[in-house]
Amino acid sequence: MKKIETDVVVVAAGLSGLAAAAAAAENGARVVAFEKANTVGGAANMGMGPLGIGTKQQKAMMVDIDVERAFKMFMDYTHWRVDANLVKRYFENSADTIEWLEDMGVEFAGAYKYFPKSEQTWHIVAVNGGIGRNGGAIMTKALMDYAKSNGAEFYLEAPVKKILKGSDGRICGVIAAGPDGEEIEAVCKAVIICTGGAGDNPEMIKERIGYTYREDMFNFAIPGLKGDGILMAEEVGAVRSEMNIEMIYILPNSDFGPDCVPAVFMQPNLLVNQFGERFIDEEQMQNTTFTGNAIAIQKGRVGYSILDSSILRGYIKNGPDVTNFVHHPESVADFDDVVTEYIKNGNPDVYKADSVRELAGMLGIDPDALEAAVDEYNEMCGSADTKFYKSRKFMKPIVKAPFYAGKFRPGAYGTLGGIKINTRAEVLDKDWNAIPGLYAAGTDTCAIYGDSYMFLLPGNTMGYCLNTGRFAGESAADYAARD
Amino acid sequence: MGKVTLKIDGVTIKADPGQTILEAALENGIYIPHLCSHENLLPAGACRMCSVRVEGTDGIVTACSVRVREGMVVDTRDELAEKIRKLSCDLIVRTHPSDCTGCPKYGKCQLQTIIQVVGDTGRRLRNNKILTPANGTNPVILHEMYRCILCGRCVRACHDMRGVGAIKLETVNGRMQVVIDGDSLNDAACRFCSACVDVCPTGAIREHEEIAARQAGKTREAGLVPCREGCPAGIDIPRYIRFIREGNYSAATAVIREKAPFPHVLGYVCTHPCETECKRKYLNEPIAIRNLKRYAAAKDDGSWRQRRVLRSASGKCVAVIGSGPAGLTAACYLGGIGHRVTIFEACDKAGGQLRFGIPKHRLPREVVDSEIENILTDNITIQTNSRIENAPVLLEQGFDAVLAAMGTHRGVKLPVPGSDLTGVHVSTEFLKASGQGGRPYVGKRVMILGGGNVALDCASVAKRLGAKEVHVSCPESYGAMTASEEERTLAEEEGVIIHNSVTFPEIIGNCGRVCGVRIQKISSFSFDGNGSMIPKIVPDSDEIIMVDSVVFAVGQRPDIPDGFGLELSGGGRIAVKNDCETSVKGVFAAGDVVTGTASVIKAIAGAREAAARIDRYLGGVGNIEEKLSPEQYRDPSIGRQENFGCLLRRSGSVLSPEVRCGSFEVMDLGMNDEDAARESNRCLQCDLRLDIAPQRFWANFRGAGSGKEVDEQ
Repeated sequence: MKKIETDVVVVAAGLSGLAAAAAAAENGARVVAFEKANTVGGAANMGMGPLGIGTKQQKAMMVDIDVERAFKMFMDYTHWRVDANLVKRYFENSADTIEWLEDMGVEFAGAYKYFPKSEQTWHIVAVNGGIGRNGGAIMTKALMDYAKSNGAEFYLEAPVKKILKGSDGRICGVIAAGPDGEEIEAVCKAVIICTGGAGDNPEMIKERIGYTYREDMFNFAIPGLKGDGILMAEEVGAVRSEMNIEMIYILPNSDFGPDCVPAVFMQPNLLVNQFGERFIDEEQMQNTTFTGNAIAIQKGRVGYSILDSSILRGYIKNGPDVTNFVHHPESVADFDDVVTEYIKNGNPDVYKADSVRELAGMLGIDPDALEAAVDEYNEMCGSADTKFYKSRKFMKPIVKAPFYAGKFRPGAYGTLGGIKINTRAEVLDKDWNAIPGLYAAGTDTCAIYGDSYMFLLPGNTMGYCLNTGRFAGESAADYAARD
Repeated sequence: MGKVTLKIDGVTIKADPGQTILEAALENGIYIPHLCSHENLLPAGACRMCSVRVEGTDGIVTACSVRVREGMVVDTRDELAEKIRKLSCDLIVRTHPSDCTGCPKYGKCQLQTIIQVVGDTGRRLRNNKILTPANGTNPVILHEMYRCILCGRCVRACHDMRGVGAIKLETVNGRMQVVIDGDSLNDAACRFCSACVDVCPTGAIREHEEIAARQAGKTREAGLVPCREGCPAGIDIPRYIRFIREGNYSAATAVIREKAPFPHVLGYVCTHPCETECKRKYLNEPIAIRNLKRYAAAKDDGSWRQRRVLRSASGKCVAVIGSGPAGLTAACYLGGIGHRVTIFEACDKAGGQLRFGIPKHRLPREVVDSEIENILTDNITIQTNSRIENAPVLLEQGFDAVLAAMGTHRGVKLPVPGSDLTGVHVSTEFLKASGQGGRPYVGKRVMILGGGNVALDCASVAKRLGAKEVHVSCPESYGAMTASEEERTLAEEEGVIIHNSVTFPEIIGNCGRVCGVRIQKISSFSFDGNGSMIPKIVPDSDEIIMVDSVVFAVGQRPDIPDGFGLELSGGGRIAVKNDCETSVKGVFAAGDVVTGTASVIKAIAGAREAAARIDRYLGGVGNIEEKLSPEQYRDPSIGRQENFGCLLRRSGSVLSPEVRCGSFEVMDLGMNDEDAARESNRCLQCDLRLDIAPQRFWANFRGAGSGKEVDEQ
């Protein structure tokens, strides 16, 4: 067994781990980070940017949001069932964290909304000076480079297997498995857990959250997110905290293909359940959390988005009604081609029929019920949505064949929570005392959303990861220096 | 050859004259993004990701295709080079799925990390995705070509490196794509070597989830070569199968002997966890590894002896108690490294279970004799008819260390009414007697109690002793029986009647002799703290099976004399810590006496471990490795083979049940020359994958201008 000695060990180098490593290193600690994958960044590599409140980007863009307004909005949304102190500290630090990243060379394209109804808190990492995909990956590389320039060392393909606790109750090291199979024992003063939740652990999701992967939950199972940190924290006495899932809704088999399919089916047309009944003001479909929640309480956890070819023609001509940065096709002209190709290949997400009754048959909905629902909906398109009060501009009748349906299911970015921390990112035991030398950050600890992801302040999860990572890094460096 | 000196991004490095700029940079820890280039493949210069400027030359060159020169000055961050790189990245990304979520390659994808470095996204170019659906029809290799970025590495690996050409680049509907050169991989003469999987930078070509999952959490060596990983003794299986294919049977046997001194015995009786793990099972059927081993071992000419280097005498003496597979293995390797070994065997002949447990029709005794003869060198003496009553006393008698390896030779009789009737046997004595030519009484009908391999051995012996009707009863369901599937099939062919999920509360007697067994159906069973079974009996399910004799085959225990001087654990086994140290310093234990009745290969593996540990105890370094086999060239160019994927397993022939039940002749006839040639040719040669360089990522290198180097693997 190889043995190394350091001040702070960071368990996993995703966004929170990188922030923790960078923060601990710039505060003078010797840092070793162990990462399971052979590259750093974890789930953040698919993200676009973090939340910031009160940043200079917002001031430049004349965005009217400050910590007070965001905090009140957030606490209203969560009914004060979350740690107000942690939320406050996170929001207060978020602007400084944006600057911290800029000092490392990360550029931001500005502060953006995720969807029209959200706030402009999303600081999208600039890609070639503008908005692009995978800005998160550029940010994580910058964080690693910065941490390394401050002396942090990274071990890749080296998952931590166990956290060591001394007989005095203090955390004193970790055991990791090196890429060559050799075990590495790292003796240290503090350990920061940042393993990113259990998105790739269907058993844990089933046991603690109650969803069954690929039956009623189609979450992004980023390989390697097994909940390692949560389990290791429990092994050394951490209290188990409630776990949740960052719910959205998704066409499970079409999300990775051409953007026109998810973009068109996410438009606020007619969304019905297995009984052919509307269950949401479709304008909310831009809020993936709310819609995910609504779908998750329908029979079979299914929602069918229905439109006709006249609506489609409008989108081809004028673009979709609602856009977001994730599904942002240049054009949806190829929608019918892609849907046809998908159907030919047996993709179970999409349907196309010559009549509403035929469509109902394909979806397993009672044809009379769906026909009645469409008739009722079309009638309201001529007056007003007296059922859920959807804005008139989105009321477009479904009349012209062919008709299309997209079968939406609950999805999720990953799991949230599992380890209980305080505002200093110290891990708490069952008596809510801090376990000396143990810190955690990121989604392993993220219980600040309560029951639903707070999408009105976009960039929230990346923001939480970065800021709690910094808290943990600073606290651990401070603790290691004191000790 | 002298090195040349050149400068990359202001850093002066030395490189071999034949190297490309890219190779030189990477070797010196300087990362230049590259996609179509791969260490084992000829440069293609196609992706233009490694664009750099070389001072004094016009335009931009690809670092993968230009060789280093003395005094060369290379700028990887030249503005035009960066521009070309970004454009190339754009062109690649516009064909690739927009979202990485849901891709199993996430975190191990070279494209993902290159985007991280190059910083571009394809956003400004019109998306042009490939809509080819996933093709999961092949049970090993999965194609999700909508993730393909046309780097061509798979095609070059298949064609250039492997000489197969099962996949090719072809224009389909006006677009270049990687396609199978035929209706299916099998049709395209694919050898299923998985080189395409190993070089694919994205999630386009992968192995099926079930296969990939078996590799997770293991080292590369262990994950990629499952047969070798599966063997408890770590025998280098792909290597000896290659020797068999080459017709070098002595070399093949030597490879086995490097890890296990009983190649021929194992060829007859190994439980072959290697075959269970063999990756070919996903394609159709696993390689018949055990019978290949037997075939090779039978043809061994003993030339391995010339390669054996006996180390000089250490002056230390080791006592080994028991001469079964564990004892003999430990003696073999301890003797090989210069210790003097004395084996104490309680019986009149060496061999342990090989001689007294395993029936003759499965393992001929001549094979046992000749293997033992091979092991007993000048350093090793054996004293038969020597039962040791106390192990630590041997230390007092002058031995420097002791190994207890007495196996499990005491049969267990359950305390059910009737177990003392005449006609009730226990497996150990039953098998021992019949193995020595005795004919224990079985009568016309016999009941074997137990569901393991030993029970089925007893059943097959009973058949050969003339029993007309052989029953086997066990509490396990058919699928949960500990007997292997292979053994169950053979037994059933011989007409053995298996009663599953039953308990046997009573043996019924008449005038002191067995006349039947009462069995009851059970719905489930569990064990209490003492290891006693608690069955859940199905009411009114009693049945009486009329038999003339009964054999208990419900487990075996070590036969350890009272006052043996060592601490015991549950089941009367010798308690060990750190795998083989007993409660007395200097006394070690290995094999069945520690693990309970297991397998020959496990006993060998345990004994190797013990031998190494004993050597360390005696002041050595614990290195018992031997090089008995010649060098071998692993030819990466395996070539095409039509219908390779459909080749059926050929494990040789077995005597028909009618013939084999009539005598104790060996029933498995093994392979003939053609079987061996064909079967060894079916091997997927998984070890070739280890010669393919693992994929590396920017984070594996010293980043430009950043701090410490990451740990280089």
